[in-house]
Amino acid sequence: MAISSINASHEAIEARYNAVDGLYAETRDMRLLGFVLVLVSDCVLFSSFIFAYLYLRNSVPNWPPIAQGGHQLPRFDLAFATINSCVLFGSGATMHFAMESWKKLDKPAFNLWMIATIVLGIGFLCGQAYEYHNVQITWAGSTMGASFFTLTGMHGFHVLVGVIYLMVLYWQANNGVYTGSKYFGLTAGTLYWHFVDVIWVALFYLFYLM
Amino acid sequence: MAVQALPGHAATTGHDSHRDHIHPEPEGFIAKYVFSIDAKVIGIQYMIVGLLFFIISGLLAEVVRINLYNPQGGFVSNDTYNGAYSLHASGMIWMTIIPLVTGGFGNYVMPLMIGARDVAFPWLNFVSFWLFPVAGVILFASFFVGAPEAGWTEYPPISLQGPPGTSLWCIAIFLIGISSTLTGMNFMVTIMKMRAPGMTFTRMPLFVWAQLSTAMLNMIATTALSAALAALFIERQFNVPFYDPARGGSPVLWQHMFWFYSHPAVYIMILPAFGFTSDNLQTFARKPISGYKMIAFSSIAIALLGFMVWAHHMFTSGMAPWLQLPFMILTMVIAVPTGIKIFSWLATLWGGKIEFHPAMLFSIGFLVVFTFGGLTGIFLSAVPVDLHMHGTYFVVAHIHYVLFGGSMFGIFAAVYFWWPKITGRLMNYRLGQVHFWVTFIAFNVTFLPMHWVGLLGMPRRVAQYQDTIPSLLGTFTFWNRVETIGSLFLAASTLLLIYNMANALLRGKRSPANPWHARTLEWTIASPPPYYNFKSIPAVLKNPYDFGEPLPYLGLDPQPDEDAGSATKPPSLQPAAH
Repeated sequence: MAISSINASHEAIEARYNAVDGLYAETRDMRLLGFVLVLVSDCVLFSSFIFAYLYLRNSVPNWPPIAQGGHQLPRFDLAFATINSCVLFGSGATMHFAMESWKKLDKPAFNLWMIATIVLGIGFLCGQAYEYHNVQITWAGSTMGASFFTLTGMHGFHVLVGVIYLMVLYWQANNGVYTGSKYFGLTAGTLYWHFVDVIWVALFYLFYLM
Repeated sequence: MAVQALPGHAATTGHDSHRDHIHPEPEGFIAKYVFSIDAKVIGIQYMIVGLLFFIISGLLAEVVRINLYNPQGGFVSNDTYNGAYSLHASGMIWMTIIPLVTGGFGNYVMPLMIGARDVAFPWLNFVSFWLFPVAGVILFASFFVGAPEAGWTEYPPISLQGPPGTSLWCIAIFLIGISSTLTGMNFMVTIMKMRAPGMTFTRMPLFVWAQLSTAMLNMIATTALSAALAALFIERQFNVPFYDPARGGSPVLWQHMFWFYSHPAVYIMILPAFGFTSDNLQTFARKPISGYKMIAFSSIAIALLGFMVWAHHMFTSGMAPWLQLPFMILTMVIAVPTGIKIFSWLATLWGGKIEFHPAMLFSIGFLVVFTFGGLTGIFLSAVPVDLHMHGTYFVVAHIHYVLFGGSMFGIFAAVYFWWPKITGRLMNYRLGQVHFWVTFIAFNVTFLPMHWVGLLGMPRRVAQYQDTIPSLLGTFTFWNRVETIGSLFLAASTLLLIYNMANALLRGKRSPANPWHARTLEWTIASPPPYYNFKSIPAVLKNPYDFGEPLPYLGLDPQPDEDAGSATKPPSLQPAAH
């Protein structure tokens, strides 16, 4: 594949994506389906803990609940979480642009957007660490803490895995692993990163807005 | 076996490009039989490990039964007794039936049936398998640190206070859960993407339909259990409140999360057995199955409905009363697709030229016993009846009728059916029939009395019981002794199977490619199949079940010992006139 025009038309991109040898296309489609199914399964994991959170939340008259010492637990810091969420959502946008640049064979822009995504991802994790450090509740102290730290912790772990994965993808993309239309790894990375974003939308609503 | 590798492909592509090339067979014992990525070898490994755990779990059941021989118990300590029934059920469900029906027969038979050389992700399959023995060892090792004592359901708060083995139980079930999820994903992709050319969904063998719906359940439901187990584990180890009511948690939450998995798990165990039955019955009745599409779609319907009925396990747990009615109705609705299958199988038998092969006997036994278990299931789904019967031996009887009489009979049928394909040897026919009758009679002697013992109020999971309730049907002691003796015969019947298998391996006659004159794709290749399964992937023209017509495949590999085309109409087994 030697097409190198920047900003190729949509049809040209589609055509290049489809013009692969059958074996690769078959493999790619199987991996894509498999990966989506893993994400569905992962989604059930989050949903189960979200169900647990809502169940525990609805089983007491007031939320936040009363802690064992008898004092009312505080609400989470909405302002900081909003900023941190914007960082994560921003990384979703940069990931999207990275993928678009890749499809247009614009390698420098791809690299730039990838680095931006990785930096924003790390920024979100730092924000998360800051929030964990400052939050007034503990994991084992109340059902609120149990749900909050378990769910956001699981999500943070997913972000961490995602950041590492993006770094691997960046290295691979710059070392000739992905050529022409053979870039399933990048597609999977994008999907995963957007998945992590979507989960955060739910968590943000559940813990900070609800 | 000469392996033909197409030039240039094997060296450059991954393991999941399946159509056009054949991998060279691995060399050496370890690569070939231990750390193999071939779905057939992995299937056999699942079966061997599953058989081992079946024996261990079965012996634990004998511990329970022997302890109940006398009303005052005394065979083992109460703690050991609690551990025995908890691990009997956990071992049978997670370490025996689920791995055997999905990992074992699913891996061995399903890729052959759809004309594939392997599953979609062989390395993932390898990981799924090796999680299984590890999980099993962790599960049974919990006896050394204090086995879990709250039954296989491990309801908190008892499980929160349980011995340290309860945490090991969490880890073991979590690992086998990951294994199930990965297998489910793998099978879904395999079935969706790797069917032979021409094999549309409605041309798939019914076992493949069963595996597809099972994979769906495995994919989605198992992760919910993983979440519940993770929460139980961190509550036990780090004191994080999820389930402890004293700290704001809710035991009912566990029940919801647990049954959201464990009710679909019932269908994970039974749907593949439906698949075994669908394929056995018509082969030995020499008649195409009645209502192919109805059976296929009812599997999917059962899988979907299976997600909406979990709270029928919780009628007595104090959940919101308004939930009881919808769950009762949905539970009863599930009897409709199941009933469709039962009637289709009966219609298949009707007018067929039935051969009482051991696999056929087990399939017919399955029909009888499973239908009986299904009927007691309708009793239990009715809220007012369940309020009386919950936690009694009636429930124990029901679960054994549907799981032993359903899934295990299905597995036995599958063993007799596919044994020649897997090993290339024939088992002793008569001994197989004797095995069936001993199993069938011992099974009913063991579990039938549990119905009325339970109705009279004997609770499950007790190490001692009172013998003060005489009735027309005899005292508790009398019937418990009958059950214990029956269960010993049931255990002995398994020895017949093991002897038959060993004997077949050592001295059995060589099997032709298609000893039962069956028509699905796995019978068109040699027994045992070569490493690459199909030299050239065949094309499929219609669904495989038109007995009496030529096989609907193009491009079959020629078999030296038998002409696959003429094998469908042997002179002694003409299809019935109808």
